[in-house]
Amino acid sequence: MSARPAVIADEVNVIYRVYEDSKPGIKQMFSKGRTHRKFRSIHAVKGVSFRLDEGESLGIIGSNGSGKSTLLMALTGLLPTESGKIKVRSRPTLLAVSAALRPGLSGRRNIIIGGLAMGMSKREIDEKLDEICAFAELEDFIDLPMRTYSSGMRARLSFAIATAHQPEILLIDEALAVGDAHFKEKSAERINKIRSQAGAVILVSHDTAEIARSCDRALWIEKGELRADGPTDEVVALYRAATHPKG
Amino acid sequence: MADNPADADLIELGTKTPLGPYLKEMWDRREFAIVVPANDIRAQNMDTFLGQLWHLLNPLMLIGVYYIIFGVVLKTSRGVENFLGFLVVGILIFQLSQRAIQEAAASIRRNESLIRSIQFPRSLLPVSAVTGQTIAFIPSLVVLLSFVLITGERPTLRWFLLPVILLGQALFGVGASFIIARIGFAVTDIQQILPHLFRLLFYMSGVIFSVEVFITNTTMQNLFALNPMYDIITAARWALMGLPLPVACVVGLVLWALLLPIAGLLFFRAREHRYGA
Repeated sequence: MSARPAVIADEVNVIYRVYEDSKPGIKQMFSKGRTHRKFRSIHAVKGVSFRLDEGESLGIIGSNGSGKSTLLMALTGLLPTESGKIKVRSRPTLLAVSAALRPGLSGRRNIIIGGLAMGMSKREIDEKLDEICAFAELEDFIDLPMRTYSSGMRARLSFAIATAHQPEILLIDEALAVGDAHFKEKSAERINKIRSQAGAVILVSHDTAEIARSCDRALWIEKGELRADGPTDEVVALYRAATHPKG
Repeated sequence: MADNPADADLIELGTKTPLGPYLKEMWDRREFAIVVPANDIRAQNMDTFLGQLWHLLNPLMLIGVYYIIFGVVLKTSRGVENFLGFLVVGILIFQLSQRAIQEAAASIRRNESLIRSIQFPRSLLPVSAVTGQTIAFIPSLVVLLSFVLITGERPTLRWFLLPVILLGQALFGVGASFIIARIGFAVTDIQQILPHLFRLLFYMSGVIFSVEVFITNTTMQNLFALNPMYDIITAARWALMGLPLPVACVVGLVLWALLLPIAGLLFFRAREHRYGA
């Protein structure tokens, strides 16, 4: 019997409409609003299909601007797709709790705010508060305002909050790039734990070593198109061969 | 990929959540709409010398300004026995709604990055603006009740109806917030227009003068009852100060409090998928 699917992406297309930030002409200067600004369509993801089963961890690699982050946004359901279907077993959790956090408030209050934003209940957060502090290694700083934290401390706190309630499908965009080697190791462990509890993880990064550490399967996206889908080492080898032809 | 019967229980992204599950998700996340704004209000005055005391000082200073202008200089107090108490109830109750609705108007834009990173019913943002301002109103309420007592009113059983009136005000506020939040997202210029609209509404709500005394035409008086702010303020003055409460105001308040949240939510949800884009 085959594993149950966690995510099915079927011919997903994403088109961004962005306004050009060009210098306004005389006419634009005298007309109000943005109606006269030029906009351009960017076809960021072109017909990508894949299926991810429960218990799998998938890495998405590609050069800068390849559309990998856009694909990830589409998988959250936050970015509307132009065409194609994305079906999921439960709403994926994007590891991006930082937008909810308040720099002026203490780490402790931010754990509560972040946890509530992630959909946890107050009771659940109270139960996990010590564990979150410990995982983020912030026990001594937890009552200081978050603006006094280093970027590494903030990243650790966000990661600890976002992964505290065992999301079924976790999406991560380069988040592990911050933090020292020791914390990267811990994060990889936690990702493995989520996977082993029948969760699925998708990690976007241009750091192939990181993908190799955390994922057993990889997608390679280039110019919005799916170039390869298979075991991490094979896809990484293809990607390396294409990006460093002589290396 | 053909549709596989085993995938039938998957959720398709980008489709609108039906109203039932949507309301349930709002309810499940109700703590978010209380705890987060409560913390934000706490954070507001953290860097000032007097800190949280400003939540008490601000309403006091506001009352001082209005009393000097309308009580002492312009004397709009004619026909009102306890003008100071009358003014305090009007100003503070009006300010609560004004602040909540103005906050709500900006709530979608202000939380753009949150909307782009976390999936949750967006209607919680305008609701949070109202709950936040209601929490911030507690110090003002202390000021309000103190003034009413100092100026000679005595507590009656009607005082217990004040929470009901404030609930009606909150419900009206939530409904108005849904509508203003959607407009505020589409047209940010509303932020510039809102203060003027509120100023107009302020003078139309009998905050600083008694409508019964200044406007003698009954039809005109009944037209005032269409104004929800006038209904709320008149009801609050009735409860705390024993001033007359026309039936039209009661009907107006009940209708605004019951119908506007429903209409507002439907209006807000129709564009929900666009917020943050």
